[in-house]
Amino acid sequence: MTSSAHTTLSNIKSNLQVFLVSVATITVAFSILGLFLVIFVNLNSFLTTWSKHVQLIVYLEDDISKDQRGVLEQLISTNPDVESMTFISKESAWANFKNTFSTKKSDFIDELKFNPLPSSYNIKFRPSPERFTKIRNFAELFKEREGVESVEYGEKWLRAFEKFMLFIRIFLLAVGGLLSLGLILIISNTIKLSFYSRQEEIELMLLIGATPGFVRIPFMLEGMLQGLLGGIFALALIKFLQLYIQVQFQGSLETIVRGMEFQYISQPIILILLASSVFIGWMGSYIFIRQFLSPKFK
Amino acid sequence: MIQLFKVAKSYGGGTPALADINFEVQKGEFIFLTGPSGAGKTTLLKIMYRTEKFDQGQVLVNGMNIGKIPDRKLYLLRREIGFVFQDYKLLVKKNVFENVAFAQEVIGANKKRIRFKTWEALKNVGLTHKKDSYPQQLSGGEQQRVAIARALVNSPKIILADEPTGNLDPEISLEILKLFEHVKKSGVTVVFATHDQEMIRSRNHRVVVIKRGKLVTP
Repeated sequence: MTSSAHTTLSNIKSNLQVFLVSVATITVAFSILGLFLVIFVNLNSFLTTWSKHVQLIVYLEDDISKDQRGVLEQLISTNPDVESMTFISKESAWANFKNTFSTKKSDFIDELKFNPLPSSYNIKFRPSPERFTKIRNFAELFKEREGVESVEYGEKWLRAFEKFMLFIRIFLLAVGGLLSLGLILIISNTIKLSFYSRQEEIELMLLIGATPGFVRIPFMLEGMLQGLLGGIFALALIKFLQLYIQVQFQGSLETIVRGMEFQYISQPIILILLASSVFIGWMGSYIFIRQFLSPKFK
Repeated sequence: MIQLFKVAKSYGGGTPALADINFEVQKGEFIFLTGPSGAGKTTLLKIMYRTEKFDQGQVLVNGMNIGKIPDRKLYLLRREIGFVFQDYKLLVKKNVFENVAFAQEVIGANKKRIRFKTWEALKNVGLTHKKDSYPQQLSGGEQQRVAIARALVNSPKIILADEPTGNLDPEISLEILKLFEHVKKSGVTVVFATHDQEMIRSRNHRVVVIKRGKLVTP
């Protein structure tokens, strides 16, 4: 193993320029992928932050009977996903409404002789990954109930946002796939150049009794190292960008959504990215070995 | 040590490269393999070393059935054989010591052993004083001695030499021949391919003659 590492380093040294160009290419490609990931992560976090404020409001009909209300309350209180429920009567809704608009004295409100607002239940749900689905399902359940006028939870917006996130996810997968394919070919080519510069030596190695592994391993290590270095540099680059954005724009972000921060990629994703970069490096070497080196073992 | 039985090889042309080759080389024996250029000497050596495959027959080298060794196990055969190439195959970026040590490195020997064995091999071919020189700074004879040292450094049981004196003048050729004979004394089996008839006549070793791919009686 020490000998393989030594050979790998000497391979890299003799082809330093090609190696560095390859690492730089991998860095650029992974940075693009990483940037999309950062955008995705932050949109996701935006969605989560925003979703904390989402609650289901069930508006009741004015002529709802006590029994009907009892059934609804029973339904809400027995649901394990519900965190809390507040009943807002017609009167308090009207009082709240008037209160909110009290600074901008409106003649219209004052002149209105009846209370147009319905009484309602404001239902908060426990935080969970399927919160939206649960809210949606619960809303569906209530829509058709007797005594319920309507339900409200920002459905259209929610659906549009979820669709957008799905699109981003597919887009990320496609871009990631294409970039990885390109990287594999680039790495395979770099390894080939490294091989060409030492072709004589490698052929001699095989002639005088080196095991196939002894010849293969340094190329494998070289590819994996290229991938790993590219991955690390890309992550560092994205980190700098994230810090810059955080310092420059954190104030404006806070104004848009309270409690939101511009985040870096989470640790598991960092590990996945690094593992993929090493895997891509390995694949590049593997393709070279299968196509080019293995026939020489015969 | 080496047995060939009805070996045949064709490159697809009209006349086969080798046909019905039968012979044996005993352990510790020194034989000359001779014949005109293009007769099939190199092909035969390459078959014994399995850098060429054959179409028919059986070849046994040091108890290994050459035709049945899987590619990934070829190194086991090659570690038993020291091959001396006509064109030396020295690495120009490595000096004499490194060229010889290379054969030890590729079989995964440790540093201490590499130093010891390389020095010993260089001593055997009388080249310790040139250990830091590069191949292009050496004469043809010296380069061939480096190649021999490299073939010997892993203590092989067999040496296959493909025209090792082909590019050398008679005096140097004799020196190289003596080196191989010295190797033979230590119990190594030597197959020495040459078309130098004078060299063959000057010695008493067994001679295997090959002409147009067939064995003939000398």
